[in-house]
Amino acid sequence: MLSIKNLQVSVENKSILRGLNLEVHPGEIHAIMGPNGSGKSTLAHVLSGRDGYRVDGGSASYKGLNLLEMAPEIRAREGMFLAFQYPIEIPGVNNTSFLKKALNEIRKHRGEEELDAIDFLELIKRQMNLVEMKEDLLKRPVNQGFSGGEKKRNEILQMAVLNPLLAILDETDSGLDIDALRIVAGGVNKLRTQENAFVVITHYQRLLDYIIPDFVHVLSDGRIIKSGGKELALELEERGYDWLLEKAEPQV
Amino acid sequence: MLALSPNNFTEWIHKQVHSNGSEAFAFSPELRAPSLSVLDGGVFPTRKDEEWRYTPLKEILSQFPEASASSPVNPESMADLKEAVPQALHLVFVNGSFSASLSDAPSSLNKQGLSIKHIATLEGSSRERAEGVVGESSLSDDNIFKHISLGLAKSGLFIQVEKSTEIERIVHVLHISTESELSTFSNPVHVICVGQNGRLKLLEQYASIGNGKALSIPAVFIQVEAGATLEHYKIGLESDQSNHVSNASVTVATSGTYTSHQYLLGSRMTRSNMEVCFSGSGAQAILRGIYLGEGDQHLDVRTYMDHAHPNCSSDQHFRGIMNNQSRGVFNGMVLVRKDAQKTDAQQSNKNLLLSREARIDTKPQLEIFADDVKCAHGATVGELDKDALFYLQSRGIAKAEAKLMLTRAFAAEITDEIDIKSLRKYVQNKISFLLNGVNTRSV
Repeated sequence: MLSIKNLQVSVENKSILRGLNLEVHPGEIHAIMGPNGSGKSTLAHVLSGRDGYRVDGGSASYKGLNLLEMAPEIRAREGMFLAFQYPIEIPGVNNTSFLKKALNEIRKHRGEEELDAIDFLELIKRQMNLVEMKEDLLKRPVNQGFSGGEKKRNEILQMAVLNPLLAILDETDSGLDIDALRIVAGGVNKLRTQENAFVVITHYQRLLDYIIPDFVHVLSDGRIIKSGGKELALELEERGYDWLLEKAEPQV
Repeated sequence: MLALSPNNFTEWIHKQVHSNGSEAFAFSPELRAPSLSVLDGGVFPTRKDEEWRYTPLKEILSQFPEASASSPVNPESMADLKEAVPQALHLVFVNGSFSASLSDAPSSLNKQGLSIKHIATLEGSSRERAEGVVGESSLSDDNIFKHISLGLAKSGLFIQVEKSTEIERIVHVLHISTESELSTFSNPVHVICVGQNGRLKLLEQYASIGNGKALSIPAVFIQVEAGATLEHYKIGLESDQSNHVSNASVTVATSGTYTSHQYLLGSRMTRSNMEVCFSGSGAQAILRGIYLGEGDQHLDVRTYMDHAHPNCSSDQHFRGIMNNQSRGVFNGMVLVRKDAQKTDAQQSNKNLLLSREARIDTKPQLEIFADDVKCAHGATVGELDKDALFYLQSRGIAKAEAKLMLTRAFAAEITDEIDIKSLRKYVQNKISFLLNGVNTRSV
């Protein structure tokens, strides 16, 4: 589904990703962990098509398409979703009509009929239970005046409504208390199928108590220096990153 | 100082001043005389005058108006023009003259505490009352367009609400310019008095049928008496070839409330000047506005908020959206006089530049002479938020559409405050159409 080969990316002439490889198949959950500044968020942004990143080499293909050449909205319509680390507040844009617009753009792209207001409302109410979100947040402008936890739940609600094939969660756990973390993780687990895949970017292992990954990758200095199963996350929790970083050093 | 040159507006003004025609003027000779003598001087401001630094008058002064070159108004185009407030009491002016046939029946004009009369026909105490309101106006004598209104206006309405009367039906004063070979000219003057504890909703609308040239120089003089409330809406949506220079002078008495919404979306050149003066304590003024320009439009919004009494509050929020090579000017002055303790004065001006060639000049000003006040003002000029754009795109919304959504949202923070649902929808639709590149400036 997603195949990243030797990806090299720089920001303002500073090299951030230095030859990253990653293969994601349908039905898989990948966790990407790593210390601050290792390139985790850059990876999320490049995959979702944000401006300001220069690809210096390598490739990223998604469903066989050249991902790096696609506009952000096309990536979304093809089934990619990024849950933002810092969801953006958009005053004046109503949360419900925004999400309806987004869903219908994606449905149009898939050749499906657009949902009318009534069908949409039914869908969104169903999915709201999933993230235990208060209904009045739907009537508000996108993320405006939302608490940190409400913003993250709103991201998961969007994910649930848009039903992506590949979801990238960029430090969705940061700033969440345990209850919110449980709800957000619960949402992901309920959305999980044999057809879709998740890339969960996180600094801490605690999210992985709730979302059990198939693979754990350690990102350091722009490269994956170790991959393993879910037990790797526990080892990181116990031993920290240093033992891996020392081992990786000779390669630099 | 601009000298008179042949075949231009100043010469036309000069001719009007000295014409001995039998046509009735709105105001009495006594009220007109000082203005006529100013106009007779033929002195128009130039860019060297601070007040006119950003707004060139050249365009207007080279325009030669043909007064009331009436062409018939197709009743079908009236439907759109009444759509903002379908149930309102419609009073229609065509090229500056009142049109009885397009307006609601005169019988509906005077009942249940509402009285609407032509200023030119006023007599006795009514005339005294109307001219009293005009006389109390704070508009400066340097304001040449005030003199055009006072000295030369022939048409206009005197709208009065009796004390303790709430007028439920919206009063809609609609000004239409029609297409004609030469430029049409209109300079209506309206005087509005809301009596003690009375309430009125008023829509002042300027529109074009066809893409003709038009010059509009309207003025409104408003008095909100003690405890009274006036909700005043203005929509400026005239053709691309029009010029529009307006004055509004408002006095709000003790515990009165004045709310103004201005949507300036049309004309090649618009200059809207509004002055609000509190004449008693505990009064409040809420001023909202959007100016939206594209092409080579020029939109100039001025407000002058005069706090002369204690415990009054004013809250201004104006937003500009400038596309292409359009240019916007915001000049807002808040004056808090020595006796105006416990004043709460807020002023905010936010501007969105949608193109590199667009330009905004914003000048928020605050002058405070009292020592126990709460005042704040601020102005911003910026582009669309890149993070917000990306956020929308990342959810499948195309960039162009995302830009539109954010721009509409920027405007909606003002338009959402319109209490009248049909009017809110009308204004939001017009803004959407204009942002979509659909020219809805002519019907």
